[in-house]
Formats: sequence, structure tokens, C-alpha cells
Amino acid sequence: MDNQKPQELRDEELVALCQQGQGQYFDFLVRKYMEKAFRIAFDFTRDKEEAKDLSQEAFLRAFSRIKQFDGRSSFYTWFYRLVVNLCLDYARRKGRVRWQSLDTIVEENPERAELADSRSAPEGQAMAGEAKRRAQSTLKSMPDRQRTAFLLRNHQGLPIADIAKVMKTTEATVRVYLHRAVAALRQSLLEFV
Amino acid sequence: MERKQTLETACRDFEEDLVLYYYGDGSERERSRVEVHMRTCARCQRFLDDLRRLLPQMAQPESLPQSFWDGYYRETVAKITAQRQRSPWWRNLSTPMRAWALPVFATASVAVLAVGLLIGRGGWNPQAVRPRANIPQEILTDASQLEFFNSMDMIESLPALEALDGGKAEPFAGRNG
Repeated sequence: MDNQKPQELRDEELVALCQQGQGQYFDFLVRKYMEKAFRIAFDFTRDKEEAKDLSQEAFLRAFSRIKQFDGRSSFYTWFYRLVVNLCLDYARRKGRVRWQSLDTIVEENPERAELADSRSAPEGQAMAGEAKRRAQSTLKSMPDRQRTAFLLRNHQGLPIADIAKVMKTTEATVRVYLHRAVAALRQSLLEFV
Repeated sequence: MERKQTLETACRDFEEDLVLYYYGDGSERERSRVEVHMRTCARCQRFLDDLRRLLPQMAQPESLPQSFWDGYYRETVAKITAQRQRSPWWRNLSTPMRAWALPVFATASVAVLAVGLLIGRGGWNPQAVRPRANIPQEILTDASQLEFFNSMDMIESLPALEALDGGKAEPFAGRNG
């Protein structure tokens, strides 16, 4: 461990160093997981500022509870659970998600057009925008756990086994959630296929 | 166009497996079962094609500039540093001083408990240990004074000793005259 650069250390090694009082190593975990944390929070909130606040809060919680991490699951599973729980609490607190898209931010602030996805063809943008709005509306109307399973699998690429750990449920239940979410989305988006 | 009017679902027994198949999940056996079925089922093939068209679009991450991530990182690290500095003093004690803190606190606790019990049961009375200066002079004795008191006891016991001896001894001159 001594000859390795901090950025080359495994999560478990970084966590162990933090647990020994060397909190500065937590910065490398922030660097590694900040994008994933922000994106999952944005998938839940559809609000850039809220996503930033929630994901940063997840890092703060992870840091303050790092000594409680016992290594029974991987760090990222443990951390994802913190992010997801914060997002679900946010959804319950808000009652209704404002469901703003990054596209909207760009429309409101043309000077920040760099946020837009340059890969989209102009003629397809309107259609794609409508399909996204419909998909987001369907996602919003889903039960929390169904939506969580879908977002973690489809958007974050987490394996089903890890989603089960994050959601503290069985893999079979995650499969059912995922199937129901996908079936609902397919139904709502059929006209765009 | 007809497909837009009516929703064509996959075969009931295969729909969940098709979702897992799309994501690359499920066991090898489940995947082979789906593949064999799709060779003969156009509905399930179309279902899988729909998933392949729709789902990647939804997951497409909207790009953010590097400046956003740099700012995000700086802000997060600053918040964590502030939290680290706000940590209560007793939390800091636990890590670097753990080796000595436990025995020291344990010893101190036992000592406090012992003193408390002693006082509570009245076993320790500060009045019982009087300073030497407060003891009356006549009580203060040295070794020679003790010998004196012992010899006085012996003199007082002489008549009794004589009686025991049956009067063989000469009468004590001092007593008779």
C-alpha cells in the first residue's frame, strides 16, 4: 500500500485509511463516485441543484459514518444505499418531484448550451424531447421501489445482486420491480418506437 | 402504424426473462431458453427490439462540462473538511488515544467507585485519624513509660503472689512498719 498512489488504492484500502483517522483519503472516494452519486440523485430529483445537494449530503453522511462501515458489502453498495435513501426521503418530503430536465436548464440559459447533448440530430430532437418527457412522467408515477430498481439497473448499470443489497430485498423481488417498470415504460412510449 | 393502436405484449411466461435478457442478467440456462423461444416467436422478438430502442435513450447521460465537476469536487471536499473540523473533541479522542485511553479511564472509574463505596459505608472516617498534635500529652507514651506502667502492675500484684506462695516469703517491710 505504501508504494501505491492514493488514486490507485482500492475502495477498501481507502476506507481503512479513513477509519484509521486519515480522513484526507476520503477525497479520492469523492472523486471516484461523485458523478455516479450526482446522476442517481438527478434521476430521482430531475433538479440539478437538488441533485448536487443530495449527493453532497450523501458524501457527508458516508464520511461521518465511515467507522460504522464493516466491509460486509462493498463500499459502493453501502454508499449507493445512502444516496438512494436520501433521494427517497427527498421524494417523500417533497411529495411531488418538480421533474426538471437538464434540457430545460439549457433552454432557460442559452449561454449554457454546452450542457446539451450534441449527439442528437436536430430533426429528431423534438420527438426525443417529447419521448423523454413522457418517460419521465411515467417514471414519476411509479412506486418508489419500482422506480429505484429501474434507475439503478438502467441508468446506473448496477447488477441485480447489488440492487438487491442496496434496496435490502431479494434478487427475485428486484426482477419483478424491474419487469414492471420496463413494461410500464414500454407501454407509455410505444408511439415513439 | 397498427402497432401504435394496440399494445403487443410478449408471451406471458417470457416477458420478465426478456427484460433480464436485455440487461444481460439471468442464468445461462434462462438466456438459452429465451434465445430458443425467440427463434419461433415474433411477438417476443418485437418486444426485445422495443426495449433495445427505448431503454438506452432513457439512460443516455446528459453531459456536463468539466468545470461543473471541478466545482462539485471542490465544494464537496470543502464541506467534508468543515465537518471534520466541527467534529466533537471526544470523537477525536477515540482514534489516536485508543491505546491508553481505555485503561486510564477504567482505572479512574474503579478508583472513583472504590472511594464512593468507602464513604457511603462509613468505613472511612477522617475524624478517626487525629493529628498527633491533638493527642493529649499524657497519652503519648514512649517505650520507657510503658515499662514503668508494667512494673506498677507487678507491684500491685505482689500480695496476691505472696498469698499463693503460702506466706513463705518475708513480710514486706514497708507494709508492717
